[in-house]
Amino acid sequence: MELFIQQLVSGISIGAIYSLLAVGYALVYSVYNFTNWAFDGFMAFGAFMGFTAITSFFMPFWLAALFSIILTVILSVGTEKLAYSPLRVRKAPRLFMMISAMGVNLATVNIINLVYGGVFRKFPIDTLQPIFIEGVSIGRMDLMAGGISFGVLALLWVFLYRTKWGLGIRASSIDILTASLMGINNNAVAIIVFAVTGVLSSVAGIFYGIKYAVFPMMGIVTIKAMIASIVGGLGNLPAAIVGSMILGILETMVSGYISSTYRDLFSFLFLIIILLFFPNGLMGKSGDEKL
Amino acid sequence: MSDEILNVKNLTVDFGGVRAVNNVSFVLEPGEFVGLIGPNGAGKTTIFNLITNAIKPTAGEINFKGKSILGKSPDRICQLGISRTFQNIRLFPQMTAYENVELGFHSAPQYSLAEAFVRTPRARRIEIDTRKKAMELLEMVNLKEHSHARASSLPYGLQRRLEMARAMATNPELLLLDEPAAGMNDDECNDLIKLIREIHTTKGYAMIMIEHHMNVVMDLCRDSRIYVLNLGSLLAVGTPTEIQSNPDVIRAYLGEPKHD
Amino acid sequence: MGYINTIIILGGINIIAALGVAILTGYTGLFTIGHAGFMALGGYMSAIFVKELGVPFPIALLLGGTFAGLCSFIIGYPAFRSELRGDYFAVATLGFSEATRLLLNNTRSLGESINAAESGIGMAFKFLGPLLVKLGGVFGYMSLPSPTNVFVVVVAVILALFFAHMFVTSQYGKNCIAISQDEVAAQMMGVNLLKTKMIALFVSAFYAGVAGGLMAFYFAYLTPSFFTITKSSDLLAAVVFGGIQSLIGPVITGFVLVLFPELLRTFAEWRLIIYGFLFVIVMIFRPQGLLGYVEMNFYFARVWWNKLRRRGQTSQKG
Repeated sequence: MELFIQQLVSGISIGAIYSLLAVGYALVYSVYNFTNWAFDGFMAFGAFMGFTAITSFFMPFWLAALFSIILTVILSVGTEKLAYSPLRVRKAPRLFMMISAMGVNLATVNIINLVYGGVFRKFPIDTLQPIFIEGVSIGRMDLMAGGISFGVLALLWVFLYRTKWGLGIRASSIDILTASLMGINNNAVAIIVFAVTGVLSSVAGIFYGIKYAVFPMMGIVTIKAMIASIVGGLGNLPAAIVGSMILGILETMVSGYISSTYRDLFSFLFLIIILLFFPNGLMGKSGDEKL
Repeated sequence: MSDEILNVKNLTVDFGGVRAVNNVSFVLEPGEFVGLIGPNGAGKTTIFNLITNAIKPTAGEINFKGKSILGKSPDRICQLGISRTFQNIRLFPQMTAYENVELGFHSAPQYSLAEAFVRTPRARRIEIDTRKKAMELLEMVNLKEHSHARASSLPYGLQRRLEMARAMATNPELLLLDEPAAGMNDDECNDLIKLIREIHTTKGYAMIMIEHHMNVVMDLCRDSRIYVLNLGSLLAVGTPTEIQSNPDVIRAYLGEPKHD
Repeated sequence: MGYINTIIILGGINIIAALGVAILTGYTGLFTIGHAGFMALGGYMSAIFVKELGVPFPIALLLGGTFAGLCSFIIGYPAFRSELRGDYFAVATLGFSEATRLLLNNTRSLGESINAAESGIGMAFKFLGPLLVKLGGVFGYMSLPSPTNVFVVVVAVILALFFAHMFVTSQYGKNCIAISQDEVAAQMMGVNLLKTKMIALFVSAFYAGVAGGLMAFYFAYLTPSFFTITKSSDLLAAVVFGGIQSLIGPVITGFVLVLFPELLRTFAEWRLIIYGFLFVIVMIFRPQGLLGYVEMNFYFARVWWNKLRRRGQTSQKG
C-alpha cells in the first residue's frame, strides 16, 4: 500500500509537469494550428538557465527560477517573431511551420549540447527530507512540483477565462481572422501566447530537472505530453490536463511495479491503443473546417 | 419516386446553440437544374456540406439514387456521383490547371499500385486516355491555353471555371455549384450563364446552384425552380417569377419595412 | 580510394532513405522526424534474415523493407483514420522512432530474462529468448556479413530513384501531391485519404528499411545508436534543403550532406546547429529548397532539347 501511495504521489507530480507541457502545446496548437517543436528546446533551455543561475551565479532558488522564466520567455517570443510570424503572414502551410519549429529546436538543443555537454546533471537543490504521512514517505519536491504546477495552471485559467487578454486569445483560437477583425491585436496575442509558452516550459523544465536530471535531450518528454494532449482532445485545455495526469500516473505505476525501462514504451503503446479505440480522442471538440 | 436522384428529408444541423439548417426537405430528379438562394448566412453552403458529408447532420435523411448516404466518407460520396465546387475556391494551388482537372479522373486510381511502379501498357493507355478527356474538359470551359499555368496564378474568374472542370472530371450525376458567379461582372456573368447551360445540356447532370447574382439564377432556372432558404429553413419554392413576387422572399432579403 | 568508396556507399544509403522521406514529406506533405525508426526495423530484420535464416542478401533487403513498411501501419492507421485536431502523425513518428530504439536497446536484457524465466509469461516467448540476446541490446548485433559495396549501392540507388519516379508520376503519386496541397479538397474530389496516406507511408518506410539493411551489411554490425533523432533530422534536412516535391533535389542534398560532414570534421558539433538555423532560413526565404517542384521531367528535357536544336538550325542558316 505504501508503495502505491508513493507511486501515486510521484505519478501526480510527473502528471502535473506533463500537464504544463501539454497545455503549452495545446495553447499554441489551438491558436496557430501547428506543433511547436521548439517547445522541447525551450524546456531544456529553462532547466539549464535555472541550473546555471544557481551554480554559476549563486542565485537562490526562487531568483534562479525567475531568471530562467524570463530568459525562456525571451527565447520563446523571439522564436515567434523571427521564425514563425514571417511564415504565418504568408499563410505558409503547416508543414513549413513545423519545419521551421524543428529548426529552432535543433539549434537550441544542440547549442545547449555544445555549451554544456551531454552530461546528466543533478539540479542543484538540497534534497529536502521527505514528509512522512502515516508511514508513507512522500517526496517534498513532488509535492512542490505538483502544487506549483497546478498553481501555474490555475493562474493560466484565471488569465484565459477572466481577463480581457485571455478572451482575446480564446477568440483567436477559434478564428484568428475574425478575432482580428473584431479588434483583437494579433501581434499582442502572439506575444502573450508565446510568453505563456515560455513560462510553462521553463517551470516544467526546472521541475523535471529536479525530479530526474538536467541534460540537453531532456525535452524529449514533451512528446509524451503532446500525444497525451492530442489524445485527450485538443482545443480543450482541461482535456490536455486530464490526459497528462492519466498518463503520468499510469506510467509511474508501470515504472514502479514492472520496470522503469519499459515506462516510455508503455506510454507510447498506451497512447496508440487509446487512439485505436477513440479515434476522435477522449474529450476532443472536432474542428470543422470552413468549406 | 424511384426515379429521384436526391431526396433530402428533414435535414437539420446544429452548431452549438445555433440551428444552421432546420428541417429542410426537397427532391431532385435526374438531370434537373435548380437554384438555391437566400440571404447570407441562410445555410446554403451548409446544405452542400451536409450532402457531401463534410459535416454531419444532427437529424434527417439524405438519399442519393434511392440509398442513404449518411455517414459515408466524402470521397465515397464523390465516387458515388456527387461533386461540387467551393464558395472559397479550393483548387490545388501549385498544380497546373491541367493537373487540377486530371485529379478528378484519378482520385480513385484507375490501375493497381503494382502497375504504378511498373507502368504496364494498359496503365499507359489509361493515362493517355485520361489526358485526352482532361483536355476536352479544359477546352469546354475555355481554359485550354492556360492548361500549363499554375492554378494559383490564374485570375479569379478562370479559377472558378477550372473548379467546375475539375468537378466534372469526377464524372458526377449530381453537380453542386457554390456561387460560380461570385465576383464576376455582367459580361462574365453572361459567359458563365452560357457555359453552365452548355454543361447542363451536354452532360445532363442534375445540378443545384447556389448563387447571389439574381440575373444568373433567374436565367438559368427559367424552366425550372428555385429554392429560397432563410435562417436555415426553406422559405419558398417556385419558378423565378413566383419567387420574385413572393412577399416572404422579398421581406427576407430586404427586411421588414420600417414603421415610424 | 577506399575513402571515396565509403563516401559513395554512405551517401547512397542516405539517398535511398532520403527518397523515402521525400515521398512522405516532400510529396504527401506529412512531416516525419521518425524515419530512423524504420531504418532500424528494416536493418535489424534484414540482418536477422541473413544471419539467422540464411536468406540471400537481396531478398533479405526486400523483406526488411517490407517489414518496416508493415510496422508503419502501427502509427499510420490510427493516425490517418482519426479526425483528431493536432499533428498526431508527426508527433507519433517521433514517439515511434524513440520507442523502437528503446526496444532495441533492451533486446539483450529482455532476452536474458526470458531465458532465465522458469514460469510466467516468459515461457510463451521462450523461443525468442536466444534471438533477442543475440540482437545484443545496446551492445549491438555483431558479426554480420558485409556484401554491401559500391556496385551494390549504385544499383540500389538507381533502382530506388527509378521506382520513386514511377510512383510520384503515377496516379497514386499525384493523389499524394493533391493531399499535400489541400487535403480537404482532395477528399471532396474523391481521394481516399486513409488509403493514399498509408500507401505513401508504406513506400517511404520500405525505402528507409532497405537503407537500414544496406547499412547493416556495410558496417557488419548494428546498434540502436545508429538510429537516433539525429539520423531522422539528417533525412529531413536532405528533403528540406533538396526541395519539396522533388526527387532529384533530395538525391543531391542527400549525398552532399554525407560528403560535407566528412570534409568538415572540425565542424561536426556545429552541424546540427547550422541545420537548425538553415531550416528556418530556408522556410522563410526559399521554402521550395534547392530544386523544389522541379522534377526530372521529360517535358523539360524535351523543351531544352528543342531549344538546342533550334539554336543549331539558326546558326546554320546565319
